[in-house]
Amino acid sequence: MRPFALNYARPAQQLEVSVPYAYDSRLQLNVLPDGRLAAHDYAVLRELGATTSTAGSKTHFDD
Amino acid sequence: MTVLILTCEQDVTADMVVARLDGTGVPVVRLDPADLPGGVALSGEFVHGSFRGHLSAGGRLVTMSGLRSVWVRRPGVPATRVAEPSAWLTEESAQALYGMLRSTGARWMNHPDAARQARHKPWQLHLAQRCGLPVPATLITTFPQAARDFAERFPDLVVKPVSGAHPQEPPRAVPTSRVAPETDFSAVAFGPTLLQRRVAKRADIRLTCVGDRFFAARKAVGQGADPEEVDVRFATSTEPWQPVETPPRVAASVHDYLREAQLAYGAFDFAEDADGIWWFLECNQAGQFGFVEIETEQPIARAVADWLAAPAPDPASPDDQVFVESVTCE
Repeated sequence: MRPFALNYARPAQQLEVSVPYAYDSRLQLNVLPDGRLAAHDYAVLRELGATTSTAGSKTHFDD
Repeated sequence: MTVLILTCEQDVTADMVVARLDGTGVPVVRLDPADLPGGVALSGEFVHGSFRGHLSAGGRLVTMSGLRSVWVRRPGVPATRVAEPSAWLTEESAQALYGMLRSTGARWMNHPDAARQARHKPWQLHLAQRCGLPVPATLITTFPQAARDFAERFPDLVVKPVSGAHPQEPPRAVPTSRVAPETDFSAVAFGPTLLQRRVAKRADIRLTCVGDRFFAARKAVGQGADPEEVDVRFATSTEPWQPVETPPRVAASVHDYLREAQLAYGAFDFAEDADGIWWFLECNQAGQFGFVEIETEQPIARAVADWLAAPAPDPASPDDQVFVESVTCE
């Protein structure tokens, strides 16, 4: 009774990686331990895949 | 006038826009509806023929009438981070929050009604066709025989989820995948199945649209790429995303699409074939853009910030959204 499309499913990549930044509610931004904004550190964002088209797919349909 | 951003805390793509807005001095309130009630609080009264409302989050207080725009980025489900969550409390909180926000004159990126409609892939395909965008032959069916007939007419097929969602119990991904010849289509009866003629692509195109500003990026299919890898999201390619011009005819059709769908933002996926034709695959009404900006340096976050920071519409013209004209597509 498995739907046809699920014959092509694969285990989801676990996204529960620890991130090196934390949300600062005063700034309303995520901040690295050295105080820099995470959004300005493209190397970190690339490494984590935090802005890629599959980020957030668990809870959102829009890739 | 304040920009309201509805998203989760870990959304670093939203950070790119918040930082831009901060740089221009435009007030921003960022909140996650998952924190309502609790970290997010609201109040609104409808008295003497007028509506007055307030929102508070992170020590910030904003009046509903002081909102210039609302960006629905990656919001959590209302009331899911409370001590005792329930479906009832979620519905109560969603109705209170979104109902009050709908009562303001703020501009939306994107309006919830437009967003809900725009998520339906069959409707996307229909609208793309009407707007003159090339759409690969597609079948959505629960009839196994219809799938077999379609596969006879279009032997080189891919399958993908109708909704774009991925199953969660257990967590799995369902990438767009090639369907082998002689495949047994019996299981089509157990769930709506989307089959589409595979476009033999030489590149993937991501066209990010912010209001009337378009940012197209192209990722070439690498030499020696695995022909079974058809979904760029899951491919192992190291080819970079590079800026590219949008063909005028495509741009005109996409303008029509956005206007008809009443979307202020849309991230379109195309497959570019050997003749350079951009085949429409889908439009993600809240699609990610950070990865494109990081690789191409296209100023998408700035464009989003500019759009959000634009003056709120005249209260006398509550329908003054970005796209209000009706349009007749081809």
